Amino acid sequence: MKINSLTKDEVFRSLVTAETGLSEEEAARRLREFGLNEISEVKKKRLLSRFLGQFTHFLAVLLWLAAFLSFLSEHLHPGGGMLTLGLAIVAVIVINAAFTFIQEYRAEKALEALRKLLPFFVKVVREGREKEIPAREVVPGDIVLLAEGDKIPADARLIETAALRVNHASLTGESEPLLRNHEPCSGELVESPNIAFAGTTVISGSGRAVAFATGMRTEFGRIAHLTSAVEAGLSPLQKEIVKATRVVASIAAVVGLFFFLLGFAMGRNFWENFIFGIGITVALIPEGMLPTVTLALAMGSQRMARRKALIKTLTSVETLGSVTVICTDKTGTLTQNDMAARALWADNTVFGVREAGAGTAREVLLAALLCNNARCIDGQYKGDPTETALLRAARETLGDITAARLCEVPFDADRKMMTTVNAVDGRRTAFSKGAFEKLLPLCSHVLVKGTRLALDDAMQAQASDAYHALMDRGLRVLAFAQRTLDSEEAEGARGEQIETDMTFLGLIGLEDPPRPEVPEAIRKCHDAGIRIIMITGDASRTAVAIAREIGLVRGNPLVVEGPEFKRMSDRVLREKLANKEVIFSRMTPKHKIRVVSALKDEGEVVAVTGDGVNDAPALKRADIGIAMGIVGTDVAKEASDVVLLDDNFATIVSAVEEGRTVYENIKKFITYIFASNIPEAVPYLAYILLRIPLPLTIIQILAVDLGTDMLPALALGSEKPTPGIMKQPPRSAKERLLNFSLISRAYLFLGPIEAAAGMFGFFWMLNRGGWVWGASLPASGSLYVQATTACLTAIIVTQVANVFACRSSRESLFSIGFFSNWLIFPGVAVELLLQLFIVYHPFGNRIFSTLPLPRDAWLVLIPFAVFLLIAEEARKLVQRRYVPPGRR
Amino acid sequence: MYPFRRFSRCYLILMYKKILAAVNEHLNSEVSARYALLLAGKANARIYFCSIAEDGLSSKEFQAAEQAVKRLSLRAQQMNVKADCVLETGDPLEQIGKIVTSESIDIVFAATRHEDVEKRFYARTVARKFSLGLSCSMALVRVVHLGHVQPRTILVPLKAHINHIPERAYFTALMAGAFNSNIHLFHITKPLTRFFHGEIHLTPLEWESRLPTDISRFIEYLNRYDVTLEKKLVPGIAGSSITIEAAAKKHELIIMGASERSPMNSFIRGNPVERVLRETTCDLIILRPRQTIA
Repeated sequence: MKINSLTKDEVFRSLVTAETGLSEEEAARRLREFGLNEISEVKKKRLLSRFLGQFTHFLAVLLWLAAFLSFLSEHLHPGGGMLTLGLAIVAVIVINAAFTFIQEYRAEKALEALRKLLPFFVKVVREGREKEIPAREVVPGDIVLLAEGDKIPADARLIETAALRVNHASLTGESEPLLRNHEPCSGELVESPNIAFAGTTVISGSGRAVAFATGMRTEFGRIAHLTSAVEAGLSPLQKEIVKATRVVASIAAVVGLFFFLLGFAMGRNFWENFIFGIGITVALIPEGMLPTVTLALAMGSQRMARRKALIKTLTSVETLGSVTVICTDKTGTLTQNDMAARALWADNTVFGVREAGAGTAREVLLAALLCNNARCIDGQYKGDPTETALLRAARETLGDITAARLCEVPFDADRKMMTTVNAVDGRRTAFSKGAFEKLLPLCSHVLVKGTRLALDDAMQAQASDAYHALMDRGLRVLAFAQRTLDSEEAEGARGEQIETDMTFLGLIGLEDPPRPEVPEAIRKCHDAGIRIIMITGDASRTAVAIAREIGLVRGNPLVVEGPEFKRMSDRVLREKLANKEVIFSRMTPKHKIRVVSALKDEGEVVAVTGDGVNDAPALKRADIGIAMGIVGTDVAKEASDVVLLDDNFATIVSAVEEGRTVYENIKKFITYIFASNIPEAVPYLAYILLRIPLPLTIIQILAVDLGTDMLPALALGSEKPTPGIMKQPPRSAKERLLNFSLISRAYLFLGPIEAAAGMFGFFWMLNRGGWVWGASLPASGSLYVQATTACLTAIIVTQVANVFACRSSRESLFSIGFFSNWLIFPGVAVELLLQLFIVYHPFGNRIFSTLPLPRDAWLVLIPFAVFLLIAEEARKLVQRRYVPPGRR
Repeated sequence: MYPFRRFSRCYLILMYKKILAAVNEHLNSEVSARYALLLAGKANARIYFCSIAEDGLSSKEFQAAEQAVKRLSLRAQQMNVKADCVLETGDPLEQIGKIVTSESIDIVFAATRHEDVEKRFYARTVARKFSLGLSCSMALVRVVHLGHVQPRTILVPLKAHINHIPERAYFTALMAGAFNSNIHLFHITKPLTRFFHGEIHLTPLEWESRLPTDISRFIEYLNRYDVTLEKKLVPGIAGSSITIEAAAKKHELIIMGASERSPMNSFIRGNPVERVLRETTCDLIILRPRQTIA
């Protein structure tokens, strides 16, 4: 039993109130107990604690430990350069934290948009007197007065109504006014005609209602709660990065500890070993990875914006590429939302609308013309898309017909029909249009070739068959009827009195044509292994027909209708969703969150489209919430991750393609970044195994990781999509960002070549300076400093070749086009300029402990770069020849 | 697991014969007492509507409480439920404690106050004093939605380790019976994680195969009472997941156990019950059972 089923007196008893309203004292007491009538945010982690959280994850803790040990060793053993290292590590932590925070941070504005839908002041009855109070002070039991134009402040049970019509658009997305009454009724609160909901608007009429739920307890508050509390969780990329950093940090820590102990075993002193241990750990941690990922995502989001998909959260860029299911609306997204009357059925014949100028068909068009609230002003049709389509068809066929409208029984979403009474040829005639299943039971006769016949079972069957046949063509079908009224009947008659004993005229089928680019976009989705689930308010047959027309379904899809969906348990829903082709018809937006949750429970990566206020929870719950930029409400836009600037499904598919490309490109630059870790680590091995001074200092490692590598890596993030990227299935949840293929290519193939170059550069420089094996080499001497500079330069030179090598993992550099990614060139130019600064500028020398190199030092290193490119081309050739394309 | 004979014995013995509803001048206490009344009707128990006027209570407030007791008493009469009205002055905990002892009350219903919810860990609230100080079972009712006169769907969040399983099942089944409602059992578990793999995704069916023993026992007990139930086990954070589930599925009442975390533990690990109390969009009953199997 709910409040909608109670009589007025029972409502008063239940809420302990009366016709005269609450006393001020009782209202104040209830305000204390139930709180203010306002939308409040669910308590979440504070911004500061979210930011501080970036400093406490596994990688950060490891780096903090390294920084602490560096500062400790500087304190105990001053002058060893450990202070610089400690500061550099702290800088790395801060940079990574800032970048990750920026990537994850998103201002929550959906609630602000919701709050704007509630009124500021409202009229209530208290102590028998009408008074205006701030809407936030309304309490359960208050008698609220409703008049035209008012925003409703709380969920309230209507106790008096006078032609009260409300607009639930903000709550249900349904823009048609709904007629309200105050009679008790059963069923769900949200569907009850005697309930007025907070956040909705009075269109006309007036009424009195008793508030029974305020603030976050209202239906509106429930949406706000879900919008605010629901979190989609980490994106697939964020999860992969967490895993990757744990793998890398563990490798770095274990290797650092192993060589620290090995150094001890080989008799080196503690401080040498300590520097070594820290150094190798820092060398193996890709400090630049997170900032580069963030910047690559930002660039991806800009490219998507150019393709009319506005990205609100950076990680969504990649998540789009991982999507396995898209739940989409039909009208306006798959179709143009540009209705046109296509077929007319009357006299058991289907006509084209232009052919329907005579006989019963003419009567159908006349009903469509007169029972219509759309207007044609200066050749422009204004009004609801369905009504304008009907008006256009009728005017173009019949011409201008004027017939004074005497009264109207407006459209009502519950009744699903409307009626007007017009003066036609001196007679009062009622014209009705509406849903076939609602209108037909009100008819007792049918007009056949000008003759009014009884509507028997055979006639009903004929009409029903025609109705189904039109729906099977993907048309939205409306039925039409008329009734000639006695003069006294029309005066003050109510809807149910007029809409009886009517004469059925016929049907008109309206088409909302699919967007032309949608079939191709759907084909792409099918090729890309992405399932599309249509969720529409249309009837099943219309939905299936449209789905067939656009290629969304091929076989016999499973159709789940709204009423069946409501009764379905979660388990059954999940079983239904396992079907390859599923369509949800007669659905409302509030059902979407359940579909999305069930899909997510099964491990799918879900994108969902939406535009209304009550789409917001589903948009938040999905991995990717996609709001419509043109017709979408502010609430939906604020709750979404992506806003489609053109409301077009094809744009989603373009964004998916871009997302997949971004993931591929992230792998490319991670290969590039990881490859440089080997030449950074090998000098430390040489240091401990060969008992030579360290060929590469820690600060020089940071110069590569956080300096020279950054822009070329970003340029790799801008690579164009590989052909066939939309022909592969979505990335498996089991596929790792750091898989064996990537790590082996970086660590066992590219890295060793670079390491060889680095060590060659170091020893070549020493040899050139007259150093022989076994001779002393003071760490402060210029020869040693030049040798470390040569080692660093060798890494940079080979990294230049590496950036070209990493542009593809399989295709030849020459087949993808040497100049096809122009950003590589400025990236490489900046990399080289930075290195020149480090090598030749006194300031660079001071920071990075380097000295200028002779010209021939560069020349001896270039062959290593050329060799790296040739070796990579050979590897790719072997891979193309012997490894099938699908294998990763 | 209990052998069947023992099981059926406790089913027979575990009954609420006397129920006390604490009523004051606030509407939510009256609504809370209505829950108690419906329960008494279903359990064929005697109900005590008890209003204790604290020092400093104004006469208007006293009258408001008295009116509430009268309305409830009248309603009980209409429902053929034996009712006693107690109007006393003094300390509510002390007075109600005396009645609980003298009348052998089985369970007390009391409404939480808005100010209780505002306080961290319920510290120094009447509700907490009742919950800890009374020797019988306690049902704390948080009234938030007055539109659901008789809730049709009840969400029952369960922990992995549950005490007083027979009484909890009995109470839940009685409430469901009183309202002819469906029960939705809901268990939030820690996400399954591996160090190098992060969170492991399991489907709902896979999660269900990991149903904790106590919950299985709870279901066994519930099944004895001819109630309709569904179960759901998902990984997540308890407090927020419960309120989201309740809001998303439009559940009309939540019945959950009282928090057993100490203030320090709550400070460190958070307190799901406190969070649900604060954020719930439907009515909530927090049950602290004290009955033992006879």
